[in-house]
Amino acid sequence: MRINVIKAYFKKEVIDLIRNKMIILTYLIPLMILILFGFGIKMEVTHVRTIIIDNDHSKLSLEIINKFSHTKYFDVKVENLTYKEALHKIQTNKADMIIIIPPSFSKNLYKGAQIGVFIDGSFPLRAVTLQGYVEKVLINGFNIKLPIKIENRNFFNESMRDYNAIVPGLFGLIFLVVPASLAAIMIVKEKEVGTIFNFYSAPITKIEFIISKLIPPFLFHSVNIFILLILALYLFDVPFRGNFFIFWIASEIYILISVGIGLLVSIITSTQIAALVLSVVITIIPGFLYSGILMPISSMGKESLIEAHIFPVMYYNHLVYDSFLVGEGFKSGGNILYFFILCAYAVILITLGTLFLKKAIK
Amino acid sequence: MSSKFQALDSKNILLEVKNVSVSYGKKIAIKNASFSLKEKEILGFIGADGAGKSSTLHAIAGVVSFDGEIIYKNYVYYSPKEAEKIKNEISLMPQGLGLVLYDFLTIKEHFDFFRDLRGLKKAMEYETKLLKMAGLYEFQDRLAVNLSGGMRQKLSLILSLLPRPKLLILDEPTTGVDPISRAELWDIVNEMRNNGMSAIISTAYMSEASKMDRILLFDEGEIIAKGTSEELIADIKDYTYEGEMESKECFSFNKRTYCLNSLSLKKTTPTLEGVFFVNALKKSKKPIIFEIPKKNLQMPEIIVKANCLTKKFGKFIADNCINLEFKKGEILGLLGANGAGKTTLIKMLLGLYPIDKGELYLLNKRIKSYEDRIELKSKIGYVSQKFSLYKDLTIKENLDYFAKMHGLSVNETNKKIKDYSEMLGFSEYLNAFPKEVPLGINQRFSVAAALMHEPVVLFLDEPTSGVDTVARSAFWRLLRKLKENLGISILITTHYMSEAEYCDRVVVLKRGIKIVDDEVEKLHKKYPGLDFEEIFLEIYKEKNEN
Repeated sequence: MRINVIKAYFKKEVIDLIRNKMIILTYLIPLMILILFGFGIKMEVTHVRTIIIDNDHSKLSLEIINKFSHTKYFDVKVENLTYKEALHKIQTNKADMIIIIPPSFSKNLYKGAQIGVFIDGSFPLRAVTLQGYVEKVLINGFNIKLPIKIENRNFFNESMRDYNAIVPGLFGLIFLVVPASLAAIMIVKEKEVGTIFNFYSAPITKIEFIISKLIPPFLFHSVNIFILLILALYLFDVPFRGNFFIFWIASEIYILISVGIGLLVSIITSTQIAALVLSVVITIIPGFLYSGILMPISSMGKESLIEAHIFPVMYYNHLVYDSFLVGEGFKSGGNILYFFILCAYAVILITLGTLFLKKAIK
Repeated sequence: MSSKFQALDSKNILLEVKNVSVSYGKKIAIKNASFSLKEKEILGFIGADGAGKSSTLHAIAGVVSFDGEIIYKNYVYYSPKEAEKIKNEISLMPQGLGLVLYDFLTIKEHFDFFRDLRGLKKAMEYETKLLKMAGLYEFQDRLAVNLSGGMRQKLSLILSLLPRPKLLILDEPTTGVDPISRAELWDIVNEMRNNGMSAIISTAYMSEASKMDRILLFDEGEIIAKGTSEELIADIKDYTYEGEMESKECFSFNKRTYCLNSLSLKKTTPTLEGVFFVNALKKSKKPIIFEIPKKNLQMPEIIVKANCLTKKFGKFIADNCINLEFKKGEILGLLGANGAGKTTLIKMLLGLYPIDKGELYLLNKRIKSYEDRIELKSKIGYVSQKFSLYKDLTIKENLDYFAKMHGLSVNETNKKIKDYSEMLGFSEYLNAFPKEVPLGINQRFSVAAALMHEPVVLFLDEPTSGVDTVARSAFWRLLRKLKENLGISILITTHYMSEAEYCDRVVVLKRGIKIVDDEVEKLHKKYPGLDFEEIFLEIYKEKNEN
């Protein structure tokens, strides 16, 4: 391997990227994804239009109404409606939830009293979340002695902040999609324009070419690790409890995996637009689905669990979530295993790229 | 490494190619090519697009897999991988205007890149010499994207000379390059040859053959003849007759008729193009006879009249006050270097570009408004560069589409498709896709598509580029027939100067200015004894000095 070849390509690539303004996209797109998704995805449900029908008019029922009224989660109206009228409110999208307190509720409290809760289930995820809120308010919310009490504590994300749950997950998405498409475009561009002949006809080895072409996108995106980390810590206030070096090295390896995917895409495509579409499609779907943002991997069904294990994003995001929220680091055997799985991915992808790349016209 | 090679070399042969074949999938690009190259020799590859020239060059340069063997200075290689060892000594400049250049690098940065890529030391003196030879010394800080076609090509050439190759491989370096740059490219190559370099150069221009030491003629994936230009011409002397004729047994082109049977005509010296005709005859190929019924179109004497047409792109003046008169039943040739403003002028006449200044009359009607333009378009048939065909439709479907676009009824359309396909000789290809048929067929059916709505004038933008000689001759006979029997006027642009002989009148543009507008016969009288390529160069030079 000769340094001069790598130097030649690196210099050319940097100049080219700056002059054709691609450099803007290299740094703008990760930023946009982080900010748009970071602020855009909300798991928390607030300001639920709630109608409470109090048929009991007791001290207890008033206390219940108070409890619901004094949170940001519910916008409570107490109305005197029949069951049918209330249901109509949900059907016409005038309310999201109805709570009916039956007559003699407080009297029958210890004999098995019931409260009717009706939730608009058109968004199942929201409905389930609401259900949890309601249960919590009803059971733990007021100072009367009940036979049971739910004691729950959320580990790692105690304050239940959305940012803590979402922002770290975006790292796995961004560093899978963006470096892959940049690497693919940078290689395919040479094919599309014809400059690939400079590689074909010069005494350069395939390995020299691949290293020369992958170093620029790799280095450019290495800078993004720090940019995104700073934003996560200071813009989104996500805590960082783990080992910085584990996070950093894992991210570098993950970017290597991504440019490796870009390399493979560039081998089977011959136009920049095809390379872009293909690299985005094959990275963005698993990058989002198996990032752990929407659903924890462990609660997935059998098929999706297998799929999740095929794509590298699961392993990386596990390490990222650990670094931000848990801080176990390499004390956990699972983390070490995942780290080596990532290394294996990088080696396999780039080896495959080297094997399949042809130094000749197809 | 190079000294070891030279010690082994004794017979003065630098390169030997033995039975080399290249194929892409099922398609055979070149079959069993065998030839050799001596030191300091310039070998020319001549033939049409798809004849196998590029594939042969790629095989030698080790950038494509091939069957057979290639020996470079006693080193034998059978694959691109084995060719790696000799890539230090060989430079390849692929086909296309400056394809190996990076648009956003300056000339100086290109030198840095190629020097580092090849692991060369900076050789100031040599690099300066190259830059000066190419006339690029003053433009070292200019981005490649801002260079003209000719400059890009010269830059590509000197970059390929940077590693001081023993063997230079140039794939159509002069295609689409203006005549002045063309001459400069040849000067550089000759200079390097004097320093001990050999070269293989492919070209589509027959006129460049005289600059080669030896020539290989390529046709349909085979080498059909080898020798010096004189030898090849001498070989077909017996089959060449003066004048042109229409016959099922003989080909006529450029004032000569080529026939295997003896004719009562006077014999004459053939041109190199004749080799392709004689080869076609020997393969028992027959010329197509176009039968186009006579029609009398009622038309005014002057079809198109342009007064001081001007078109600017920003500060750049593409066409500067061009006057043009285009008469009934005339074939008008529009000539000029790349970027001279030919395509822009055609697009203005067509109504594809708004006119910045000047007046345009079509059939005595002033063309001003959008509605005028629409009407203008229905009177004109247009075949663009590279033919605007839909590659996912069959030829019949393409014709169908063009006819319907002009509002023809189903019956009319079917009749026209049947008539034209028979007249222009492509009825057997109607259900094929454009990609599957030879370029010459595409060219003829593009003309049919342009004729669907019965225009009175036909505009053809470089319709013969890359088409083989035999198909080109057929095409020109077709144009003559269209003109004579249908009374259509034809405006055509071309890079082949020998084709200008077929025009009634030529207009030459240079940097957006009309420098010549004269009948071909009169030009021949003005420059006696010169062929049209020479006349063209002469005119360009004269105007350069002024």
